[in-house]
Amino acid sequence: MNRRTLLGGLFAAASVPALAACSSGITSLDGEGGASGGGGSSKDGVTIGTANFTENQVLGFLYAAVLEAAGVQTKVRPNLGTREILIPALRGGDIGLLPEYQGALLHYIDPKAEATEEGEMQNALAMSLPVGLQVLPYGMAEDSDAFAVTRETADRYGLATLADLRKQNGRLVIGAAPEVKKREVGVVGLKDVYGVEFKEFKSLDSSGPLVKGALKKGDVDVANLFTTDTDIQANRWVVLTDPKNLIPGQHVVPLIADRKADSTVRKALAQLGNVLTTADLTELNRKVDKDKKDPEDVANAYAKEKGLTR
Amino acid sequence: MYELFKNLGDWLVSGEQWTGPDGIGHRLAEHLQYSLLATLVAAAIALPLGLLIGHTGRGAFLAINLASFGRALPTVGLVVLVFLASGLSMWPVYVALVALAVPAIVTNTYAGMNAVDPDVKDAARGQGMRWHQVLFQVELPLALPLIMTGLRLALIQVVATATIAAYVSFGGLGRYVFDGLAQRDLVQVLGGAVLVAVVAVVLDLALSGLQRVLFRHRPA
Repeated sequence: MNRRTLLGGLFAAASVPALAACSSGITSLDGEGGASGGGGSSKDGVTIGTANFTENQVLGFLYAAVLEAAGVQTKVRPNLGTREILIPALRGGDIGLLPEYQGALLHYIDPKAEATEEGEMQNALAMSLPVGLQVLPYGMAEDSDAFAVTRETADRYGLATLADLRKQNGRLVIGAAPEVKKREVGVVGLKDVYGVEFKEFKSLDSSGPLVKGALKKGDVDVANLFTTDTDIQANRWVVLTDPKNLIPGQHVVPLIADRKADSTVRKALAQLGNVLTTADLTELNRKVDKDKKDPEDVANAYAKEKGLTR
Repeated sequence: MYELFKNLGDWLVSGEQWTGPDGIGHRLAEHLQYSLLATLVAAAIALPLGLLIGHTGRGAFLAINLASFGRALPTVGLVVLVFLASGLSMWPVYVALVALAVPAIVTNTYAGMNAVDPDVKDAARGQGMRWHQVLFQVELPLALPLIMTGLRLALIQVVATATIAAYVSFGGLGRYVFDGLAQRDLVQVLGGAVLVAVVAVVLDLALSGLQRVLFRHRPA
């Protein structure tokens, strides 16, 4: 859920295995990693890496489930860390496939990229990805930044889109992670694109207990959350729409090594992408985070229920 | 590395960094306010408690174990817990800081009182001193060095931990640490951390100086 939390990234980078790998300059994750991830084609199997948060792991296991059903051998390496670890591992051949998010990946590869619309971003990714890597067609599910208000706030001020916030300039308090104060997808962009000015910025966390607690209690009026956060539905919070495309799309997109991207793999992942919705993904996250289920079981059960596997 | 320390030096000495609502001057004042208030409240709770337990010798087992439990409480967890109950206010910060400071003061006060030679107390009572005279004229003066150590320990811990105020949107020097981490501005993070350490050391030296001035007529 905290896909772009920089704090999370820093802490993960400081965790012991990651540190050991960095400091010794070892790019291989294990001795035989190259064999499974770096082989000639998907016939040799595909190693799927995932980042250090629930949703990405669920996606990794979903990829594994549909690929296995298509006859491709897979191995999932969950919880490897952040992009700073995963992308080099993919380039080095230790992993072959990685569930990614359009906007966040594009920004990582090219910090100056301006595309925010899905199609444009797909093109921009195709142009800027390093040689040997490609993105497959993006899926329906999306985990993007969202600005949400409570149902009561939405009714009282007549809020439906980010543009509506302007009518209440100087009256509303926004709660978000500290970095959002200086981000384009944050206070800066809301002012530049929508002319919105807040009464105050409360520096809290990324879609975590603090910002959600503050929104619930009415200590903040607007909260920066992620669209797949299960508490949005549970509390009937209203996500303000973004008619001017300030927030880059964050559709789930498979990032894959060229040599693994054969037609079997493409077809299986495209099929999953067309079935898995944002609501589905939110529900899968809830099962892991709130019901404490195993991400692999949750992914397998979903794939079976949707007829993606037998 | 050299670059980082050079930038840190520039950050610390630049004029604009010291002024305004996000300036070091203002953040330092906030930090001192949180730390001193929390330590004072903790002392108001912990000193009488420690003296009482030490004087009567009763409840020591319970109090010391509770204090150890308090020390083991994860501060960030406590902040989040109180935050969810109280909402966006200074309560989470003060509750967590006081909870952090109380154990150090209680245990040291008790230890100081407990270390007073029983013969001395007997002698005082034998001379006809009332319980409060024994407490304030015999036990307390003898226990003071250890009590002061407890206060100093508590203050250092509180100064170092008051950075969490920034975690729940408030100010203090933690602002630089949390904002710097979020914005990947290592100079800011380091600057905040260095300032916190300097404040802790300076306050500790000040307290130990005070201690020396106050009790110079007696061997420590």
